Amino acid sequence: MSLPVDVLAAGVAGGTSIMFAALGETIGERAGVINLGIEGSMLAGALGAYVVAVETGSPWTGVLVGGIAGAALAAVHAFLVVWRRANQMASGLTVLFLALGLTALFGVKYVGSGKKLDHAFDVWNVPVLHDLPVVGQILFEHNALVYLGFVTVPVVWFALFKTRIGLLVRTAGERAETLTVHGYSVPWLRTLAVTCGGFLAGIGGAYLSIGYANAWRENMIQGKGFIAVALVIFAVWSPVRVMAGAWLFGCALSLGSALQARGYEVNQFLLQALPFVLTLVVLTVIGRRTLSSSPAELKKVFENAETG
Amino acid sequence: MTTLIEPPTSPVEAAPRKRVPAITGAGAQRALLVTARWVGAFAGALALFGILLMIKGANPLDAYAAMFRLAFGQQTSIDEIFIRMAPLVLGALAVAVPARAGLTNVGGEGQIIIGGVAACGATRLLGEDLPGGVLIIGMLLAAVLAGALWAGIAAALRLFAGVNEAISTLLLNFVALNVLLYLIYQSWRESPTGQPATAELVDGAKLPLLTASSRINVGIVIALVLTVLVAVVLTRTRWGFQVSVAGGNAEAARRAGLNVPKLVLSALMIGGALAGVAGMIIFAGTEYKLRDSFGYQIGYTAFLVCWLARQRPFPILLGAFLMATLSVAKDSLQLDSQIPGYAIYVLTALILMAVLGFTTPRKAKV
Repeated sequence: MSLPVDVLAAGVAGGTSIMFAALGETIGERAGVINLGIEGSMLAGALGAYVVAVETGSPWTGVLVGGIAGAALAAVHAFLVVWRRANQMASGLTVLFLALGLTALFGVKYVGSGKKLDHAFDVWNVPVLHDLPVVGQILFEHNALVYLGFVTVPVVWFALFKTRIGLLVRTAGERAETLTVHGYSVPWLRTLAVTCGGFLAGIGGAYLSIGYANAWRENMIQGKGFIAVALVIFAVWSPVRVMAGAWLFGCALSLGSALQARGYEVNQFLLQALPFVLTLVVLTVIGRRTLSSSPAELKKVFENAETG
Repeated sequence: MTTLIEPPTSPVEAAPRKRVPAITGAGAQRALLVTARWVGAFAGALALFGILLMIKGANPLDAYAAMFRLAFGQQTSIDEIFIRMAPLVLGALAVAVPARAGLTNVGGEGQIIIGGVAACGATRLLGEDLPGGVLIIGMLLAAVLAGALWAGIAAALRLFAGVNEAISTLLLNFVALNVLLYLIYQSWRESPTGQPATAELVDGAKLPLLTASSRINVGIVIALVLTVLVAVVLTRTRWGFQVSVAGGNAEAARRAGLNVPKLVLSALMIGGALAGVAGMIIFAGTEYKLRDSFGYQIGYTAFLVCWLARQRPFPILLGAFLMATLSVAKDSLQLDSQIPGYAIYVLTALILMAVLGFTTPRKAKV
């Protein structure tokens, strides 16, 4: 494969975990809640999925349990910020610590256990489509979880913008008092949105452990959840842009190994820092625009950090 | 409206500050209630973690007793608590000062790393022949400057491009980590075959110990002095007052003629400088080398210390003491109860959840 195709294909594969997490974060932020604990949800999802997949031999059950684990941690965040009105940043980091501790406690016997999953998620070429020139190689030669990601983007978009519950969730993030007037419960809607977001983040973590790395390591998320939070902002809370952004990050992450495989001398640390620098640059370029189009209730969170 | 700038007589003076109610009559009752909430929160967290320990086959009472014995049973571990407390105090102050201006600094982790890197860089630049005192001052200045500038990036991005500082400081943590890794794996690496680390700091430039018999370095003194200084600056100076006005209501501050951008910039940069000092203390007080684990999780822990203390300087000392004690006690989990040490993060998180969620009578409107 040529270098660009190689990098793009690896970008789609590597960016999938970020994409799931960022889609989940999009739902939560649309409802007016920012969740740094997404990183923790991913961690819990990664361990939960790995343990279940190894013990039951069923990777799909693993993915489901990973999602539930992620949702459970997000529910803790929702409880603290929605029902107890704790500070959202502090609560998110607390949830991350909770996940770090719990996964260390329950994951210790799986670290480097060498228990490989037997072809859990094999690469499966989509018939016909993968024969397309260039695009086929980039998009349609992956495993099932990557394709699940493709499907999740329009599903999240549809749920948020074309359904009644999506409208209610978005209203909770824009004009919460309107909902209260009409007898809807803003706290419950936000709890729902944040928990669903955690479910998707858990699947993102599951993808990392059983669909990508095929292993469990302590703290294996390494900031991908934080990237997801930033990504949502620079994608201006749009699921489709989230997908494009996630692939961009995937490419930045995979560029290093692709170059090294071709014998180029590259600075590994520069490349590792690249996604983070890239996010900052993009946020800088489009900063003001995104700020003005952010959900109104979320803006309140950003502007007043002192609640709680 | 210009009277807003004058501290004592201003009508809005009390607004951004949270005052502890006076302990008289109803006040006393409220104080009792608050105390009960805090005690309940801690007891709940300990009980939940105890149940978890039981699930993992350890006797919680034995485990807590062993943790307590390890943390307070011998002089060396008590020393260790104060050694680990110093950077946590400074890291938490680095959150508290910007918080006064309404800013969320989640970048302590990166600012600490950059402070350590700057301290190490200063000794490399100055050479090892200089007297130790000069080197220490050089390291301190470099760390202050570097931490301030690193946080200044986030402040500048907020002011000139409207990028939220919670996001940018968070992202900068990962950039800082890769700067550190680059230096220890490549240009500053001591030997290409050994562990990836810099050469050890010369003995003269290591932070002096408090007494000949203890292992505590002067880091904790620096932290205490800066805590008092921060408390005084925040509550007793014009700058501190202006910052809290800007943090309480930026629009009102602007109308009152305050230079809000300057206040935002200075508050975040002072925060970064404090975190930089924390990095310098870790480097010159305990680590003496830059390694890949330099400052690991200290910035995030300090962020939570600050929230535990509700962003007030003196309670930060208590919060940092608690977290430092837990971090020392975590070795006991591994040794005495065969539970992975990092499981202590669960207890940390439970305490925080209890404090964030249950120490204020706030509830959501359904």
